[in-house]
Amino acid sequence: MSYLELRNVFKTFANVTAVRDFTLDIDKGTLVSFLGPSGCGKTTTLRMIAGFETPDGGTIELDSEDITQVVPNKRDIGMVFQAYALFPNMTVRQNVAFGLKMKNTPKDQMDKRIDEVLEMVRLSETAKRYPHQLSGGQQQRIALARALAVQPRVLLLDEPLSALDAEVRVVLRGEIRRIQSELAITTVYVTHDQEEALSISDKVVVMEGGVIQQVGTPEEIYRAPQTRFVATFIGTANQFFGKVQDKQHVLVDELSLEVENLEGCAAGQQVVVLVRPEYIQVTTQKPERSGCNIVSGVVETITFHGAVTRLGVNANNQRIVADINVSETEPIGLNQKVWLLFGSNACKVMAVDK
Amino acid sequence: MGKTQIVKKKEKVRPGAWQIILIAGFLFYMFIPIISTYLFSVATRWDRTILPEGYTLEFYGKTFEASYFLSSLRNSIILSVSTIFVSLVLIVPTTYWVHVRLPQAKPILDMLMILPFGIPTVVLALALVQVYNPTPLGHSPVLLIGAVFIYSMPFMYRPISNALNAIDAQTLTEAGQSLGATTGQVLLKVIIPNIFAGIISGSLLVFATVFAEFTLTKLILGARFKTFPLLLVEYTRINGNIAAAFSVISFTIAWLVSILILWVGKKSQGASAEAVRSH
Ligand SMILES: Nc1ncnc2c1ncn2[C@@H]1O[C@H](COP(=O)(O)OP(=O)(O)OP(=O)(O)O)[C@@H](O)[C@H]1O
Ligand SMILES: [Mg+2]
Repeated sequence: MSYLELRNVFKTFANVTAVRDFTLDIDKGTLVSFLGPSGCGKTTTLRMIAGFETPDGGTIELDSEDITQVVPNKRDIGMVFQAYALFPNMTVRQNVAFGLKMKNTPKDQMDKRIDEVLEMVRLSETAKRYPHQLSGGQQQRIALARALAVQPRVLLLDEPLSALDAEVRVVLRGEIRRIQSELAITTVYVTHDQEEALSISDKVVVMEGGVIQQVGTPEEIYRAPQTRFVATFIGTANQFFGKVQDKQHVLVDELSLEVENLEGCAAGQQVVVLVRPEYIQVTTQKPERSGCNIVSGVVETITFHGAVTRLGVNANNQRIVADINVSETEPIGLNQKVWLLFGSNACKVMAVDK
Repeated sequence: MGKTQIVKKKEKVRPGAWQIILIAGFLFYMFIPIISTYLFSVATRWDRTILPEGYTLEFYGKTFEASYFLSSLRNSIILSVSTIFVSLVLIVPTTYWVHVRLPQAKPILDMLMILPFGIPTVVLALALVQVYNPTPLGHSPVLLIGAVFIYSMPFMYRPISNALNAIDAQTLTEAGQSLGATTGQVLLKVIIPNIFAGIISGSLLVFATVFAEFTLTKLILGARFKTFPLLLVEYTRINGNIAAAFSVISFTIAWLVSILILWVGKKSQGASAEAVRSH
């Protein structure tokens, strides 16, 4: 039995279905991210959990209690907003005290709790300041402290870092994860930044068009995508469209690719073979090896990505990207002829309609 | 790039000759009647010379002797203060509600709120009298408060709506609710303090409008409820100098009350006004 359960949740606005048939179990104490492109229904789902939107169908259960119709202020669910939403008329301390006051917490307990959470976000020295006297990153930490002060059952964060610059984002997401695991608080984190989602989550929910595409650990989502959308949305994947030839081969134009796991497919079926750029090996000499797929092409683009360099290769008018580690490979220049090697285990085959 | 912008800014600050003339003309136009009223209220005789021939405080003495002086002043203050009260109680929650829960209705509310400008006060007054005359409400000060409330509504609504637009009322409300506050608590503890500047300027505008109101008062209540403007108009027919003295007292009261409201606002607002302004 999971802590937070969404069952067949539906939500329609005027004429768009924002969320459809959304079923998800979230375990107590875990951090689950909703990841997906703009407009895929992440915020809407989060707001239904918070109670700011009412589902048109389905139920939401928290700790075995149906909260679908409970008003937001009775749900005991904390929320952190993209725009911080600190109360501008109150000092940091008063902001953090707000929720405790609403719960009629005795003064001494309240003071103790405020000190605790300010300590937790490492901003004790800002207690007397007003929100406008803090940086964006500090404001968001205070917003987090304010939400945590009342010890909510669930913490919701809607793109909490997207208004901050890259460096602060990376630091703060680590902080959020640290605090979340220390408190073991059940957390739902909305983002459209895949790196963010993959780096801090126990589980990632990939969404598109209001529908769950895949739920899994960051590893699973990256290594074993179940739909073409997930494979191409998370990381980069080369796509080869072709027909199933036999139990081990897919015919892409004139080229026969050796792949694994074709059991479920009939010969002649339209499929797509997905290959991640980091699984492709690049050589400048025609390889002698067999037992893996070899495609030749001409280097069209070279982009430096720090740890790796990404090559854009034109192979019979199909563009293939491959990542190379510069220190390990012989120098490669533009317009050079190269051979791309990848094993059958690097190929992920999916039916085209997915 | 940055440098040229700074230069441009400096040039903007120094007004041209024609700007000075225009502003001077405007100030002249605004202040000459007020200054003349002040002078007239203390002038002994002022029809043969550019400046009055002599000065006296006699007319101020006369105003205090006027039998309705205190009661009309009291009535005017009661009327203004009750209207501000009614206006705040009705308009603040309504505007807030529309901003947070029914943003699509905002244009409708905006339009409703300028309607009072389109209705001549005479028409409004006569219509109200016709409708309410048979009821106990007819000719009662309550009806008058209702009428001046409608008439002064845009002055309260505009500043409050602008103040609500300036803060993200919806997200602040949701933040408050997720911390366990009811909508009412959010309104009292979060929204009102953050739109206080708007509430103060709305109250000032309503006070100024209602304190000087004549037509509605005259047509709805007439002699039954004599307000300061009614008394003033009465005296313009009796003695111009005394009427001028009444005007001066009226100005002074309006200014004093404005300063008082601003002061109360500043005081209860304190540092948070600063926070809201720079938000
Ligand atoms: N209040 C609303 N009225 C009408 N349509 C809405 C409303 N809120 C959301 N939608 C629609 O529902 C869909 C899902 O919106 P939602 O805000 O949940 O997306 P999102 O995944 O959070 O996107 P983003 O990453 O841009 O924040 C969108 O098509 C959006 O236009
Ligand atoms: Mg969103």
